[in-house]
Amino acid sequence: MKRSVILLVFTLLCAVSAHAVETLRVLAWPGYVDADWVAKFEQLFAARVEVTLVGSDEVLWQKISANQGADFDVVAANTVEVSRYIDHKLVQPLNLARLPNVQQQLPRFKNAQNISGIHRLGEVFAVPYTYAEMGLIYDRKQFATPPDSIRVMWDPAWRGKVLAFDDSSHNFSLASLALGGEPFHIAPVRMPAVVQQLIALRRNVLTFYSLPEESVALFKQHQVALLFANYGQQQFKALREAGLDVGYAIPREGALAWLDCWAIAAGARQPALAHAWINFMISADISRELTRRQGLDNTLDASANSLESDKLWWLEPVEDDTRRSALWTRILSGDRPEQFK
Amino acid sequence: MMRFGIAAKLALLLLGFGFLSMGLVGTVAYTNSRTTVLESAQRELLTATQVLGRQFQTNMEIVSSDALMLSRLPSAPRVAQARLTQDHSADEAALVAAFEALMVVRPAYFQVRLISAAQHGLELVRVDRDGANLITVAAADMQEKSHNAYVFNTLALGAGQVYLSDISLNHEQGAHDGLDKPTLRVATPVTAADGSVLALVVINLDLNGLFERLKADLPNAYQVYLSNHWGDYLIHPNPAEAFGFDAGRRIFIQDAFKPVADLIKGTGGSAVTSVPPITQRSPGLVAAFVRLPYGAQRDEQRFVVLGLSQPMAQVVKQIEHLGWRTLQVMLAGGVGALLLAVLLARLVTQPLKRMTEAMQGFAEDQTVSLLNDNRQDEIGVLAASLNAMQNTLVSNLQELNASRDAIEQLAQHDPLTGLPNRALFQDRLVQAMTQAERDHGALALMFVDLDGFKPVNDLYGHQVGDELLNVVAQRLQDCVRRMDTVGRIGGDEFVVLLPLVSSVNDAVVVAEKICQSLHEAVNIEGHHVMISASVGVALYPDHAHDMKTLIHFADTAMYLAKKAGGSQMKVAVVANPDRAV
Repeated sequence: MKRSVILLVFTLLCAVSAHAVETLRVLAWPGYVDADWVAKFEQLFAARVEVTLVGSDEVLWQKISANQGADFDVVAANTVEVSRYIDHKLVQPLNLARLPNVQQQLPRFKNAQNISGIHRLGEVFAVPYTYAEMGLIYDRKQFATPPDSIRVMWDPAWRGKVLAFDDSSHNFSLASLALGGEPFHIAPVRMPAVVQQLIALRRNVLTFYSLPEESVALFKQHQVALLFANYGQQQFKALREAGLDVGYAIPREGALAWLDCWAIAAGARQPALAHAWINFMISADISRELTRRQGLDNTLDASANSLESDKLWWLEPVEDDTRRSALWTRILSGDRPEQFK
Repeated sequence: MMRFGIAAKLALLLLGFGFLSMGLVGTVAYTNSRTTVLESAQRELLTATQVLGRQFQTNMEIVSSDALMLSRLPSAPRVAQARLTQDHSADEAALVAAFEALMVVRPAYFQVRLISAAQHGLELVRVDRDGANLITVAAADMQEKSHNAYVFNTLALGAGQVYLSDISLNHEQGAHDGLDKPTLRVATPVTAADGSVLALVVINLDLNGLFERLKADLPNAYQVYLSNHWGDYLIHPNPAEAFGFDAGRRIFIQDAFKPVADLIKGTGGSAVTSVPPITQRSPGLVAAFVRLPYGAQRDEQRFVVLGLSQPMAQVVKQIEHLGWRTLQVMLAGGVGALLLAVLLARLVTQPLKRMTEAMQGFAEDQTVSLLNDNRQDEIGVLAASLNAMQNTLVSNLQELNASRDAIEQLAQHDPLTGLPNRALFQDRLVQAMTQAERDHGALALMFVDLDGFKPVNDLYGHQVGDELLNVVAQRLQDCVRRMDTVGRIGGDEFVVLLPLVSSVNDAVVVAEKICQSLHEAVNIEGHHVMISASVGVALYPDHAHDMKTLIHFADTAMYLAKKAGGSQMKVAVVANPDRAV
């Protein structure tokens, strides 16, 4: 009886003391927040950090949307997701004055107006943290010079030697880019042309892969010349490790790229501390450690895989995901051009 | 109590030992048998898995030969070429009829198609299963399939070769029954006379349907697992676990069943394992897996892993049965041990019990009961020792009793004459007086004093005097009845007690008889000795009621007789004995 009372008092004291030190609740992907960084931040700001890790966009959405974003202070999410959060008012505008380290970022990241997913009505909602582009991987034995256009995937010279990825959204974006359009917002009037373009792609590829290891196996077995690298650098590394003499290229139309950013939840209890966290995470020390430890590109240094002049299309919500998906299923099933008329 | 104690302790000890050894043997036997049962369950399961695997491979061979048979139909190459040349409807109809006939007898076929090698893999003839119907798909709905692995891989084969696709969910739109179902495509090229590949025949096999049928021969509790060469589940008792990769989720068989990792790596052909129960929802199970080479021979990398599991509960039931049997045997053994222990304890304690009884009897009344000392063991030695002890004790006791009797004799009798001494005589006098008082009877007390004894002593010496006293003692005893007592209370002073007299006359008769008897001469060592005696008589209750007064009166009467010249008797005279006190 007595013991439980003491325990209760102790628990209460702990709870009180825990509240005395400010607690920052962080929602992030594995590899984005290392324990020693957390310890350093806690020391610098005399705060406590609670990190929750998620493995998919779906889980991330569940966590941030529960309680209207009141369960967390900061969240790491890609541009598509951030855009969706802004739509649902789950994140709040940032005070850039509190984020001096933004000034150290590369020009393409420094100006949020360049990245459509993270600003709205003149206000900035997220700060870029890390990114990866989906370039083209080519067989250096078959390509005398690196492919410079995305249209090479449609080149009959490589018929049956191209590997594309089985994803409706990306493939529509790619087809649109190949047609000289913008990837994420295909107007209805342009859609039939994009579909025909995708049928043409289907007729030119060996197949559409899903898993990274599947792409490696296919590349080896079928003397593939060109591969759309949905898994980016990771996939490039895997192919090289499989003994393939491959190169990596960013086409002149630009490459689709995902960009993960830090944003502050709408219901954050510690907005000031959350700004401090974001500023800390984009500091030179942490950014370079992220690249060193995870092999992920940071926002301060130019990537080894792409030039600063390369066009990168940060992923954005597309005009109609469901429609793209339905059309893609038919295209993949082998419906002929006349069946879409 | 002690007897029981030793027997009980001994029995307990023996019993404890018996149970301990039985428990040990039982536990070892149970543990070993448990392992054996588990191993045999796993072996059985492995055999079943291997049989299932062979059945699966046999079925693959059947599907392959079906595909080959269709590809060799003369109408097949004609349809493939006809598009480019002339009318082909008759050949097409023949193919459709063949496809349908086959699908009627092969319920696990979702779809049978002829696909062109040209025209981006356009389907030329296609029959789909749709519930109970077979649908011949119209030309307008045909699709291009060249970008599918089963097409481009089969087109790379030569005549008579068969391609088995990876197993996947069929998301090809318009596939009717097969849509989104686990499907295995078996395909073979259709070649022209010159050997060039014109088309391919593809059979879509309903994987779940096939295993449903194969599983029908197995016990109900058996569950089937199937994975591809990466370990992704294709069949799992929980359908949600299968084809995780199709939804971007990898669920690997080797994560749930560690030994399967060797099969995936290609370092093993089969594996057995048991998964302990984790929660109530996932009770433990025993499982066996085999690695089945899959597809064309040129592609040795491809295989599937097939597994069967059995709930641990079933195996446990066998083990429990075994445990119960072991327990029964142990219980029977325990009863045996109990009987044996009691018997042994009795065997050991029985002689001890007899010895104790003998010793108790001996202690109570010194009856010697000789123990059986024929035994050659420690008990025999103990019995012999006890016998010896009993004998020693008895002889010692006899000696002791003799000495005690002698001492008693010495204490109460005159050592010279053997007559009662003063103490014994007084004792008898008291008894006699008590008796007389109770019986209202009378008794007589006489004091007998020898006249002229001193001169005899002086004249002939003490030896003669002593001899004389012996003669006197003898003569006095001759003068009285057996019930009467003669005692010697001093040098030449004797006393006589007549415990039962009817009157003073009885006493006077005896007294005179004594005087007469003692007046006769005695011959001792050649000496002719003449003596006489003075006798004083007093009677109870005539003269006194108490001993002291009675003695006083007898003594006084004796003195009067001596004074009157001796050799005579005097009876005490007293008017009123009460006054005399």
